[in-house]
Amino acid sequence: MAHASSLQSTGAAGTLLDRAFEARDRYEPVAPLPRVGIFGNGFPEILVAAAGGLPVHLSMGRLSSTADIDEVVEPFVDEEGRIFLNRLMNGEFDDLAGIIFARDDAPALIAYQYATEWVRQGRAPKTVPPLFLWNLVHTQTPAVERFNAVQAEKLFDFLERIGLRRPDDETIAEASAAESRRREALKRLEAAGVSGATAMRWRNAGRFMSAAEHADLLNAALADAEKVENKSLRIGLIGSPLASPASYDVFERYGTIVCDWQPWGAVWPGPGNDKTTLADILRAAAADPSCPRVSPTTAFRQALIEAVVNAQCELVLCQLAPTDDTFGWEIPALASELESRGIAFVNLGFREPDPETWHARAAALISAKLGA
Amino acid sequence: MTSTYVPLESTKIATSHQRAWAKSLQQQITSGAKYAFVNADTPHELFHHMGLPIVTNQWWSAIIAAKQLSEYYFDYMETLGFHDRLARYSSLPLIAELEGDRERQPWGGLPKPSILCARQSADDHQKIFSLWAEKTGAPLFLFSTPAVPDPHPDWWRMGRSDWETLYGRDRLDLMVEEFKELIAQLEELTGRPFDHEGFASYMEAINEQERIYEDVSEILATAPRSPIRISEQIPNAMIPQWHRGSEWALSHARHFRDELHERVKAGTAVVEEERIRMMWIGAGLWFDTSFYSAFEESHGAVFAWSMYLPFAADGYIREMKGDPLRALAARVSAMNEQLHQPPWINAWMVEQAKKYRIDVALLLIPEHDRFSGHGSLFAKKALEEAGVRVIEVWSDMVDQRQWNREEMTARVSTVLDAVLAEKGV
Repeated sequence: MAHASSLQSTGAAGTLLDRAFEARDRYEPVAPLPRVGIFGNGFPEILVAAAGGLPVHLSMGRLSSTADIDEVVEPFVDEEGRIFLNRLMNGEFDDLAGIIFARDDAPALIAYQYATEWVRQGRAPKTVPPLFLWNLVHTQTPAVERFNAVQAEKLFDFLERIGLRRPDDETIAEASAAESRRREALKRLEAAGVSGATAMRWRNAGRFMSAAEHADLLNAALADAEKVENKSLRIGLIGSPLASPASYDVFERYGTIVCDWQPWGAVWPGPGNDKTTLADILRAAAADPSCPRVSPTTAFRQALIEAVVNAQCELVLCQLAPTDDTFGWEIPALASELESRGIAFVNLGFREPDPETWHARAAALISAKLGA
Repeated sequence: MTSTYVPLESTKIATSHQRAWAKSLQQQITSGAKYAFVNADTPHELFHHMGLPIVTNQWWSAIIAAKQLSEYYFDYMETLGFHDRLARYSSLPLIAELEGDRERQPWGGLPKPSILCARQSADDHQKIFSLWAEKTGAPLFLFSTPAVPDPHPDWWRMGRSDWETLYGRDRLDLMVEEFKELIAQLEELTGRPFDHEGFASYMEAINEQERIYEDVSEILATAPRSPIRISEQIPNAMIPQWHRGSEWALSHARHFRDELHERVKAGTAVVEEERIRMMWIGAGLWFDTSFYSAFEESHGAVFAWSMYLPFAADGYIREMKGDPLRALAARVSAMNEQLHQPPWINAWMVEQAKKYRIDVALLLIPEHDRFSGHGSLFAKKALEEAGVRVIEVWSDMVDQRQWNREEMTARVSTVLDAVLAEKGV
């Protein structure tokens, strides 16, 4: 595991954030709380914090070796799902109290279904932690509100079952304060003028530590952070989940990523995390426009365009995982809407297995667009 | 080896009924009658009962594919900027709509629907239907689709009466509430009130129809040799399914069952010396249905199973328990998922393979229709462990660009040769 962070070393806060990002779910945070795995966007982490647990995201890990389950994972399953399943069956998450999967995040549902079936068939190690499906529906009708409230009760039962406390108004309000501090710090991060690559690393580092620790580290790091040279081009990044600093570096040869609206960008932490009551948390989470399954269906594209426009982007880069089957439906309409607003749009297409080839192709496409 | 195959009278009746129905539907909607454009896994029952004609996305997709238009539209899809790994079966009608040349389309194209309806079972359904709504201006009704967190493998048994346990009270509550929202919209659209009493009788009629299909499945599974091709099973199951609960559908189901029964009693078989029994797993290969009889002559191998017929009973019979809307929710709330998600798909495939005495399974894996492709390798593993040989078919149900008949015939033949050798034939 990576070294635990220490708030006494504020000068090195940025390094600690980088280290946490690099270590991913193996990062050892300051507070020794029971760790609860989270797979996918769309789960309000505040609810685990309110139960006295530490939410730790598991979808950004790296694969060291495959397990038997790999033989039933089709090649079109998202890479993060395949890596997770292999790691789970290799015992890499045995230290977790439980794992929560966000149903409305595509790879998370498949990861949950394949993992539970492997367990049911008796093929998984006995040490696989308890698994829970967070079935929140991303719609706002009275019927859905009632349904989502039931899901919260089921979650609380699960949290109790794995040895945490049942969240209540008081613990939710307490956790909300930490989340609010984190949100303020993230706002400062966005305004700080750091590179998009740095913002991405420092933001995502928070997926592996408590909101309080994240807020403290961000605040300390921002006090020391160097601003990037103010290049003329303001870039928006959209499409499939991307957390590759090397890719960001390639994109930022042309300007600065000022709007990172992909699932591993600024859409996390999701709305609702800083609310003070359960009802508000659920309502805000259900209305999260960054969820591709949100209804009304137009909310997703509208929110994306709004984010890009508000950030005054001049160029939007769209990149896709080779397994994309959802975001691709948005591309023609997005391209035409953005171009009609005078924002250049480059579809970089599918990422390739070899990063160098993909980066060279991406650079050529961006250069061609900018040179046109 | 193959006797001269005589098609069933039922098939003629079903297809001519469908032709007449399609013609009348075409006349109705092209002359301005209101209609709904809906996905296959939505509650058609509500539209039927309200007397609002429907065009089903996947049915329309198959019609377009059968007219050999899919290649043209999928090439066109890429010129619009959609990438080539997006779903095809569910999107072919949308692409035809976006292309806009109505003369090219069957029926001279579809007019604007009065309502669009889909379930959010697959992540892309709402995207596809949303684009339809944007293009046509038709209102879109989407059913929420939370997953079943603790799926019992033997859904086809529990689904009949213990559906509250199987699908979950919270999910059923939600679906019933959403039914009520849709019913209100349909009442407004049609100007008619929803007749709850009549709906109960209608649901009973559907259960009755599907129980007849249960008998049919039993006849097919236990017949010493397969009496009909799956290319006949499919229309005789699916056409009445599109009209489920109607007098015609019930009467056709009975006629089909009786004709089949007679055929088995008379010892009629697709292949005189049936040596190998196969199952086709997945949606139909709509652009090359003659493939289903390709191995009868060469290997005495017959496709004895396709999902459409046994699913009529297993997927549709839902005891009413005095609450027809809730029973309908039980039918619809995981309809498609049962065919594609573990443990449901693997458990059902093994049960059906055993029941139908299957030697070889051809497993359609549409990699660019991920919802339909997921769970495939679980099914493969389970079948192999049950002693069934499995051939993976990486193709698509409506996109023939990925289909190489010659190559597939060669691959299947190699496996069938091995099976015959094992059997000492």
